[in-house]
Amino acid sequence: MPKVTIDGKIIDVPAGTLIVEAAKPVGSHIPVFCYHPKMAPAGMCRMCLVQVGMPKMDPATKQPVVDENGQPVINWMPKLQTGCTTVVSEGMVVHTTTPQVAEARRSILEFLLTSHPLDCPVCDKGGECPLQDHTLHYGPGNTRFYVESKFHNDKAVPLSPLIMLDRERCIQCGRCVRFQDEIAGEPSLGLADRGRGLEVTTFDDPPFNSNFSGNTIDICPVGALTSRDFRFTARVFELNDYPSVCQQCAVGCNVYLGTRDNLIRRVTPRQNEAVNEVWLCDKGRLEHHYAHSPERVTTPMIRAESDLTPVSWYEALNFVANRIRPTLGESGKSMAGLAGDRLANEDLYLFQKLFREILGSNNLDHRFGWSQWNAGDALVKNFGAGVGTNLGELGKGVTALLLGADPQTEQPVLRLRLSKITRQGATLVVANGRATKLAQYASHKTIYRYGAEAYFVLGLVRAMIDAGLHKSDKANGATEYSAALNLTVAECAAKAEVSADTLKTIGETFAASENGIILFGREFMYAMQRDPAVEAALNALLILSGHFGRKNNGVIALYPRSNSMGALDMGMTPTDGGMPASEMLTKAKLLYVMGADPARENPAFKNPGFMIVQDLFMTATAQKADVVFPASAWAERDGTFTNTERRVQYFARALEPLGQARPDWAIIQELAQQLGAKWTYASAGDVMNEIAQRIPTYAKMTHARLQVNARRRASVQTVGGDAAEPVQMALGELIGVVSGAQWATFSETNADAKFDVKFVQPADSAQATAGVYLAVTRALLDCGALAQYSEIIQTRVPDASVEINSHDAEAWEIANGARVRITFESKPPRALELPARVDGSVPPGVVAVANNLDGTMNLPMGAQVQVTQVQVSQAIAD
Amino acid sequence: MFEGLRALVEGLLTTGKEMVSKPVTYQYPEIKKPVPPRFRGRHELKRHANGLEKCIGCSLCAAACPADAIYVLPAANSDQERYSPGERYAARYEINLLRCIFCGFCEEACPTGAIVLEHDYELAYYDRRSAIITKTQLLVAPPQGEQGTPRDMPDPGNLYAAIPPIKGGVEPVNIVEMAQTQV
Repeated sequence: MPKVTIDGKIIDVPAGTLIVEAAKPVGSHIPVFCYHPKMAPAGMCRMCLVQVGMPKMDPATKQPVVDENGQPVINWMPKLQTGCTTVVSEGMVVHTTTPQVAEARRSILEFLLTSHPLDCPVCDKGGECPLQDHTLHYGPGNTRFYVESKFHNDKAVPLSPLIMLDRERCIQCGRCVRFQDEIAGEPSLGLADRGRGLEVTTFDDPPFNSNFSGNTIDICPVGALTSRDFRFTARVFELNDYPSVCQQCAVGCNVYLGTRDNLIRRVTPRQNEAVNEVWLCDKGRLEHHYAHSPERVTTPMIRAESDLTPVSWYEALNFVANRIRPTLGESGKSMAGLAGDRLANEDLYLFQKLFREILGSNNLDHRFGWSQWNAGDALVKNFGAGVGTNLGELGKGVTALLLGADPQTEQPVLRLRLSKITRQGATLVVANGRATKLAQYASHKTIYRYGAEAYFVLGLVRAMIDAGLHKSDKANGATEYSAALNLTVAECAAKAEVSADTLKTIGETFAASENGIILFGREFMYAMQRDPAVEAALNALLILSGHFGRKNNGVIALYPRSNSMGALDMGMTPTDGGMPASEMLTKAKLLYVMGADPARENPAFKNPGFMIVQDLFMTATAQKADVVFPASAWAERDGTFTNTERRVQYFARALEPLGQARPDWAIIQELAQQLGAKWTYASAGDVMNEIAQRIPTYAKMTHARLQVNARRRASVQTVGGDAAEPVQMALGELIGVVSGAQWATFSETNADAKFDVKFVQPADSAQATAGVYLAVTRALLDCGALAQYSEIIQTRVPDASVEINSHDAEAWEIANGARVRITFESKPPRALELPARVDGSVPPGVVAVANNLDGTMNLPMGAQVQVTQVQVSQAIAD
Repeated sequence: MFEGLRALVEGLLTTGKEMVSKPVTYQYPEIKKPVPPRFRGRHELKRHANGLEKCIGCSLCAAACPADAIYVLPAANSDQERYSPGERYAARYEINLLRCIFCGFCEEACPTGAIVLEHDYELAYYDRRSAIITKTQLLVAPPQGEQGTPRDMPDPGNLYAAIPPIKGGVEPVNIVEMAQTQV
């Protein structure tokens, strides 16, 4: 650890630390523009110039030369050095406040301002602009240029539907370009031309089409890249920023909801090093528009004769209570509750409490439609990744195994975090039935045959046992397992259609690694549901590798929605013979649907005798309901979500509820009270207190504890005071900010527990025979239930297409872009007609279609399909 | 007795003097006295010489207002519908005159000189709501012979930037030194 002196303060920092980073803990502020702690240094703006000296060394003794006072003699470097590219070394002395440094900063700022328009009053960055802040603190204070004599360039150039570029304001730091190259891995931006004329351009068509493009707005140190969604709707100092959690996917990115006039004006990332660092995907940034859509349901409604008519809350609740009360005794059989897994823990907890304790029914579920493919919750409960695991910080000694997942489209920010771990020394293994974006960062990547997941995992287990790397100290029946596993690595590899060497290498690397994490995604969960052997094999791989019960070890299930994990924890699953969702949709006589749209997402849905729907919009299900309760959007109430890494996170209330909408938990409580329950929850925090008492894993998870680092940001900042938080965040001045709490798994709380390993023979699936396998993928930006209300998302939704392997395309005589018809067995019979995309991301024998685009809803994963080209004449006739 | 008489005469003398002297009161509202030039009365939103609005919707007046009396909702200009120079204008501009303390900070904060406290002091209303004055009430009429706003104006000429350059420039001021001497 080199010992360096910065402004007279001595500090030990790890080798390889840059001067700007070393200066932070001692409180010396080095201003930067181009440097960002999450990206490689570039040294483009020269703002971080500091005076650097090295101790004079005696060539003979290799010891520092000491003066008469016993102090080392310092050789000052002849010119100022850039703090963002200079690595500290033993004995280095740095001065950050000398007149020479101050003069350099003044000059750099004056230089930058020669071609900066100074239209701060109309600039959306004004108020949280590093250039403004640095000019105030370090700038010259006067100008030698008149506005007329300044350099002028294009203003308000639309770079994409989301981003507006102001060429005049650009200071050419290249942060946006470097973010797209290094972090997002989607090099859609470039710097064209030279000198004053240098400008940011996009190579993409459609322009700047990146799922992470919004982050360039946050990290731009000036107002060159601004959001068109937020454009001219408020000044940043007028916003009230409420801490919240994005509810679009299971990552649970921390965000600030910037509100003004009871409207969300913008969503910006809130730093949480354990969840999203400082990033946010475009979907999370834009999808808030649904919260104030004019299509929201704002009054309770009951079906009078044939139409739904608005009534008061009292009437609606009374209507439902009167309908339920006579059947309370024997309701257990016929009453069912279906809740969406985007709802908060508090709602889901009270919902199941209502059913279990008052209605006496165990018919509860949240897995329908897209969410029906979540599985492996037993694995997570036992072997979930240890408390303290931070996926973004995985480094040397960690092997992360990603199975059947595509985080690029399903958990985008998780993709950002996983794509950098190989750079930090970790081993990343990406295995799926098709090629995914993350594979390009992987140390080992492989494409197995869909349907042979069990063989793939068993091959890893076999390779581990063969190499003698398995541990049996926490396993029951390890020897029997090893004997029962009657497959060789080569056999498994043949079944899974991967190379035996790869399988062996992956198995051995994973087992030999000090720490191991397994992440499995939707496509793998689908396999788990089809064949119990998959889960059994994964169970064996975990137990025999010993990778569980500790930090950086265990499994992470990449669930489909923001609170799928919470729904499982809260008990939103049928227990003791309760009906699962699939049965409920056809058999229930009374169905209570909360925040879900089964009529849209499940073709099997049948109208029950009586249906209560609690939702934001008149969904397909709500239109068939007998009673509709208007619920508050997530921004209109507080609560908690549990993300896919089991991190419970608090989100605050940012808006007044629209119309008569009420929080879901409050509606359930009022209904329960109508039915005679003595519930007296005053707030969502009150419900959470009960959860903390009743659910052992959630012990001590009160709102107060979860609110640490999740506080409202005041709208007014002191002029000339400390930089506002977004500026600090954009500059990477906040270190190690973490909020939320992870619950500990069974293997962590019971260190001595032993687990059974049992061999289950994989079912030889029908896919082994010839036939084309339909792989169902997801597009990030879709026309989903909530995304449809965001205009900018809608302009960027891709057209549906079918991905076909080039060999198949040749065999079937299908050209890239040709329209093809895909037919498969289903009830009712369906056929899709889509343009083909022949780009090699799927292996032969597989076609992939995103199931959340126009006309591609509810596709059956794994169906056997026939692909035929649509005749041109026929296509025209259609 | 003489004492009392003297007091009476003296008193009547004063009355008599005042009867013939010029009165200090005047017949308001028939007669209105001019106010000093720097009087701070009701606000006005000014226009440029070509009729474009000076206000660019930057909300700095609202930020400076100690009484939180100003509300600004900005929007984007387009060449076909141009209100002000540059990219931004105030779509809504409201001042609650019951909250306003007429301190003039808004004037000082304004980067374009758009808002000026003028000489209207007749600020009585029958209800609270009408004390909130809107942009239409605040905005002055366009100069003689000039069009109002919005207007189709692809080229605003000299007024191409939100904060138009001052002809010939201004003497550079060192804001840092200024701040230091004022403290």
